[in-house]
Amino acid sequence: MMAPAVFPGGNTRQGAQEETGNLADGFAKAAHIVEQTYSTHVITHVCLETHGCVCEWDGDKLTAWISTQAVIQSAQQFAQALGIPQTNVRCITQYMGGGFGSKFGPDAQGIICAKLAKAANAPVKLMLDRKEEHLDTGNRPSATAKIKAGVSADGTLTAFDAQSWGTGGAGAGSGFPLPYIYNFPNRKRVHRDVYINAGQQRAMRAPGHPQGCFLTEILMDELADRVKMDPVAFRVKNLPPAGPNAMWAQYFAEGAKRFGWDKRHPTGGDPAPGPIKTGMGVSAHRWGGAGRGSHAHVDIMSDGSVVVKCGTQDIGTGTRTIVAIVAAETLGLPVSAIKPEIGDSILPFSGGSGGSTTAASVTPAIRVTTMDALDALCAKVAPTLGVAATDLVAEGGRIHVKGNASKGLAWKDACKLIGTEPISVDGQWQDGLSGAGTSGVQFAEATVDLETGIVKVTRILAMQDCGLIVDKLTAEHQALGGVIAAINFALFEDRLLDRVTGQMVNPNMEWYLLAGMSDVPKIDIVLNNMPERGVIGIGEPPTVSTASAIANAVRNATGVTIRSLPLHPHKVLAAIEQEKAGGTN
Amino acid sequence: MKAFAYVNPANEKEAVAALKVEGVALPIAGGQDLLARMKDYIDEPDRLVNVKGLDATVTATPDGGLKIGSAVKIIDLFENAQVAKLYPALNAAAIEVGTPQIRHQATVGGNINQRPRCWYFRNEEFVCYKKGGSRCFAVNGENQYHAIFGNEGPSHIVHPSSLAVPFVAYGARFRVLGPGGEREIPAADFFTMPTLQNVLKENVLGDEDILTHVILPAPGNVKSGHYEVRYKQSHDWPLAFTTVVLTMNGSRIGSARVVLGAVAPIPWRSKPAEDALAGKPLNEQTAAAAGEAAVSEAKPMSGNAYKVQIAKAAVKRAIMNAAGLKTV
Repeated sequence: MMAPAVFPGGNTRQGAQEETGNLADGFAKAAHIVEQTYSTHVITHVCLETHGCVCEWDGDKLTAWISTQAVIQSAQQFAQALGIPQTNVRCITQYMGGGFGSKFGPDAQGIICAKLAKAANAPVKLMLDRKEEHLDTGNRPSATAKIKAGVSADGTLTAFDAQSWGTGGAGAGSGFPLPYIYNFPNRKRVHRDVYINAGQQRAMRAPGHPQGCFLTEILMDELADRVKMDPVAFRVKNLPPAGPNAMWAQYFAEGAKRFGWDKRHPTGGDPAPGPIKTGMGVSAHRWGGAGRGSHAHVDIMSDGSVVVKCGTQDIGTGTRTIVAIVAAETLGLPVSAIKPEIGDSILPFSGGSGGSTTAASVTPAIRVTTMDALDALCAKVAPTLGVAATDLVAEGGRIHVKGNASKGLAWKDACKLIGTEPISVDGQWQDGLSGAGTSGVQFAEATVDLETGIVKVTRILAMQDCGLIVDKLTAEHQALGGVIAAINFALFEDRLLDRVTGQMVNPNMEWYLLAGMSDVPKIDIVLNNMPERGVIGIGEPPTVSTASAIANAVRNATGVTIRSLPLHPHKVLAAIEQEKAGGTN
Repeated sequence: MKAFAYVNPANEKEAVAALKVEGVALPIAGGQDLLARMKDYIDEPDRLVNVKGLDATVTATPDGGLKIGSAVKIIDLFENAQVAKLYPALNAAAIEVGTPQIRHQATVGGNINQRPRCWYFRNEEFVCYKKGGSRCFAVNGENQYHAIFGNEGPSHIVHPSSLAVPFVAYGARFRVLGPGGEREIPAADFFTMPTLQNVLKENVLGDEDILTHVILPAPGNVKSGHYEVRYKQSHDWPLAFTTVVLTMNGSRIGSARVVLGAVAPIPWRSKPAEDALAGKPLNEQTAAAAGEAAVSEAKPMSGNAYKVQIAKAAVKRAIMNAAGLKTV
């Protein structure tokens, strides 16, 4: 059925067009060519805490307790929409139950909530229900690419020619990087956005990357088979040059060892008897994660208490924890001695928490500001100890002379010298304490039941860096969360539209499947600490390559290639049937 | 959710009486299905009649069977030692229901009487046959979880009850209390295939009837098995599942009951599979042949042919489970 044209010129839009090298030359050098269509599906953010807020007015001043990844930007948007000064709006987000890129403002429901609160002259709470959340708060666009790729007899990639499409709903883009990571010297890619009458896409955890990764990484396994190379060796051979932000070769090698990659049987299917087949797969990814622009304020009181303020927010990533950790380490105090204040738009400016930028934006601002506060404290303490302020250090809960721990004061005693006016310091992000560019490699092991088509992920290994690791626990948990989300992308989540009416048939959590505890495999996270690079974000990269690694594991287990997600039993069984019938798989 | 009245009857008779009302009255036990339907505006009852207080015991019957009150919680059914001993496939089915939270709240009666999980039925915007409309949206729409047997229509739902399947397989009888008194109905006759006349319901219960008990006959010399195929490992509806009850004749199968779930508008008894088992030794070959036979008459819809393969595997594995063999 042809959809009516809603936009002038039809319901598609020309997207990215890229061309490098010479395609004809590239294909001439190819000993083997793979030509296939690959695709990923639409999934929604399905935040456990839905979008919404509580709004309360005090005269012409609005306070909104809002589920957002951006308190200050939300205040700005409330002000614009309601026609009041931004200084009259306060947005508070102490904790948030998931945003994944879909919560950067009040949206329609927030503005409606504020207007209702005004009309009712009472606080109003308005949270979307699950159906509304699925339909209208964003999604990850689909991606499809018809790809023709060439490889020379020695396993060197020579050419890549792709037409790609995707839909981000009505009038929204669907771009994604393609090819992903690997070095195709001659390549061309033409993309079109397809508009459909469905909810609009929004940034979703590593926008574009899981799609580009899947489309490329399944192709990579097919190409490796053509030249009879191991998928790890084949990838390593075709990587871009190594660098601090391109550590894949090291991660492939170390990960293969840790994962027991040498026990992987060659592609063609698990020869083990019985219906349950096991396989391994691998994939790589990259991300940016640079910081910028955060401000902070630190007060040290004469009773020794310390408050650190920043208008960032903790979106479940542990930002509050790392704010306290950085200040505590700088002041030589336990983490419990620091009071971190974040999640409030009246605090010093910080950006929205998107693009894995928060850690790299916030921690330098905290570090710089706390250092200045400590300098001010040392200046107060120095005369008492009879040394220059620059000779003092803070460690172990004391301010003491460098190299002479006994000559000093306990923190509380040192702070008594502050007097009536607390030390109160403003500061901001500075270059040099954070970095940009991360790389990672993931290995997956999965079983496939050939009689039922059921895929179970049994093991994941994630090799990941994020510059200086500020807190191992929260960094590892970002990786765990990313991997689990990607298992959902690979196996379970699927925004299903009724083909006749275009309505979503599963706007719930009954038929919109999400992994339960029993569906989550053993996940090993190996973080590569690179202190010399400064702080870099980790929220997004670990969710990029998991699904591709799982799909390649399924391919290894079954000897059958499934070129689209999710890996639902109907697709697995159909592919196996096609293979049995002598199909092209 | 629409406002409703709530009635707390003292006994079965009062419960039946309370169902007689101007408008719509519905019994509520664990509420695991009904409350969700009310929140989604699929049902808008004027009155809810609390039946949690009905018989919640499992008692032995004189003939060596068990009488199960419909208010028995699913977790209690699972944990009942007599159930586990006499009807292992029922015990296996009970632990597969929902989640620990659901099993602690949901009841046997509620499980049997729950409404279809069809996503068109559950979405207020699709007025399908089951909501008084004039079509089944699954036919030309998204039917990957719909029926592969009994697809004559008009509705193509699969029956959602996990317990109904072993109850039919074990030859249970359902005791029903209505305005006209008490009656007993074989489980197999309780569930109804959809017709244009009865499509609003999935069973023979009248508007003022209550299912009070499930009565299981003594199992006799049987081996029984159960196998469920789910996509997720927990908290997911089965793609297909099977209970088999095999009456043994020495080392051979005398007769068999093979009942499939999640494949048809009712718990689906497979005559071809039962015929394939009769007189055969109980082994993997027999199981595989019965699996093939079970799906020989399947009529999948446009998007659910894969369920035929899954149903075949479920039948085979349920028989292997009954035989005490490794299922995979």
